[in-house]
Amino acid sequence: MNKLHFILLGVAIVIAVIFLSFSSERMRSWQSGYLRVSNPALQAGSAISGQVEKLQKGLKTLDELEAENAALVASNNELRAASQLVGGLENENKRLRASLDYRERSAFKLLPAQIVSRDASSWWNTAKINRGFGQEVDTAQPVLTADGLVGRTTTVSKEISIVLLLTDENCQVAARVEGTNEQGILSGQRVAGSATPELVLNFLNRDANLQPGMKVFTAGVSGAVFPAGIPLGVIKEFRARELDGQAVVEPAADFSKLDDVFVVQGSK
Amino acid sequence: MIRAIVLVAAVYTALIAQEFIPPVGFLGGAHLLLVPVLFCYGALWLSFPTMLAFALFTGLLSDLAFLHVIGDRVEIGLGWSMLFYVFVGTALQPLRPLFREGRWEIHCLASGAVTLLLLLSQYTMVCLRRGSFLFDGTIFWHMAGPAVFALLIAPLVYFFFNLLPAGTPMRQTSRRGGGLTR
Repeated sequence: MNKLHFILLGVAIVIAVIFLSFSSERMRSWQSGYLRVSNPALQAGSAISGQVEKLQKGLKTLDELEAENAALVASNNELRAASQLVGGLENENKRLRASLDYRERSAFKLLPAQIVSRDASSWWNTAKINRGFGQEVDTAQPVLTADGLVGRTTTVSKEISIVLLLTDENCQVAARVEGTNEQGILSGQRVAGSATPELVLNFLNRDANLQPGMKVFTAGVSGAVFPAGIPLGVIKEFRARELDGQAVVEPAADFSKLDDVFVVQGSK
Repeated sequence: MIRAIVLVAAVYTALIAQEFIPPVGFLGGAHLLLVPVLFCYGALWLSFPTMLAFALFTGLLSDLAFLHVIGDRVEIGLGWSMLFYVFVGTALQPLRPLFREGRWEIHCLASGAVTLLLLLSQYTMVCLRRGSFLFDGTIFWHMAGPAVFALLIAPLVYFFFNLLPAGTPMRQTSRRGGGLTR
C-alpha cells in the first residue's frame, strides 16, 4: 500500500462513519428510498417465487391423486392434470373466501396485503408486504391473519413495508391469558431453529395455574401498538422460575405459510 | 471493466435473490448468503481504489437491505457493513497477485471466512445491543451453515466471472517482489 492508498482508505472510513452518525429517522428514510427503488425487483422476485411454490404444491397434489386413483392415473393423464388445476383453484378460492369473511367479522379497519418476501438475515425475523404509505400504511401498525397476530410495521415506503414478525425477540406484546387475570410480555426467540418457532410469555406469576391449551390474546394496554383481543397463540408449557413464571406459547398464525395478511388501520 | 460492472449488478441481484431463498432446515433454519462471496471475488480481483468503491457500494446496499429500525433504536446502523467490507477488502488485497495468477482456492477460503466473520460480528453486535449473550447449536449453524455454503459456491462464482472478458492485462511491477498490478 502506498500513500495514496492510505488516503483513499481514510476517505472510505470517513464516508462509512458519516452514515453511521445518521439518526434512526434518517436511516429509516434511506431504507424507505431503497425499498422504493427495489420495489419492481422485489415484486418480480415474489411473482417468480410464487410460481415455483405453486408448481411444487401441484406436484404434491399429483402424488396424492396417484395414490388414490392408481387405476385411473394409468389410463387418463390428461383428465388428471385438469383435475389438479381445478383443485388448486378451489383451494385458492377457499383461502380467499376465508380471508374476506374474516375481514367482514373483524372490529378493525383492515387493509389486505400480501407477503412479498421474508428477511434473508439470520438475526432478525421480518417480512415485506406489498402495501406502503401510498395505501395509508404507517409505522407501528399491527399486521395479522385470520388466525392471529403476525407483527407490526417498522419501515414504510410508498408501495412496500417491512413487518417485524411476532417471532422476533424485539417484537414484544403485552398479553393476557384467557380465563385468568394473568398478564405478561410475549416475545419471540433470538434465533429460531425452524419456520414455526415458539414464543415465550414472561413476567407471569410464578404460581399461576396455567394449563396447556389455554389461549393467549393481546392485552391492549393503554398506548400500546396492538389493540386488545387479537389471538396470539396457545400455551404449550408453563414453568415457574425463581421470581416469576414463564409460558411457552405456540403462535396462532402459521409463520411457515404466511401469504395473505391484513394491516390494522384503526377501528371501523 | 466488464467484470466490475457485472460484479456491481450481481451484488444488487444477489441481495434481492437472497430474500427468496428459503432457510435451510437441516442447518437450523440458516439463511444462505451470496453477497460475501461476490464481494470476496471483487476484493481479490479489483485494484485498491476500485475495491474501496465496491466495498462502500456493497456495504451500503447490505445495510439498507437488512437495516432493523424499531422505534428510535437501530441494532446495526447504516454504515457498519461499509466499514466491515472496507477492512476485509483491504486485508484481502495482498492476496490479489496470487488470485490473479489463477489460485481460485484463495477466493473459496476467503468467502467462507468472510461469511463467518460477518455473521459472527453481526451476532456479537446484536447481543451487545440486547444485553445478553446466548450461544447454542442453532446459533452455531446460523453462522457455520452460510459459511460452508459460501465455500461450496465460491468456485462456481469464480468460474462464472472467469468466463467474462478480463479487461486490462496485468503487468509485472517489481522484479524483486514479483507483484502484479493493472
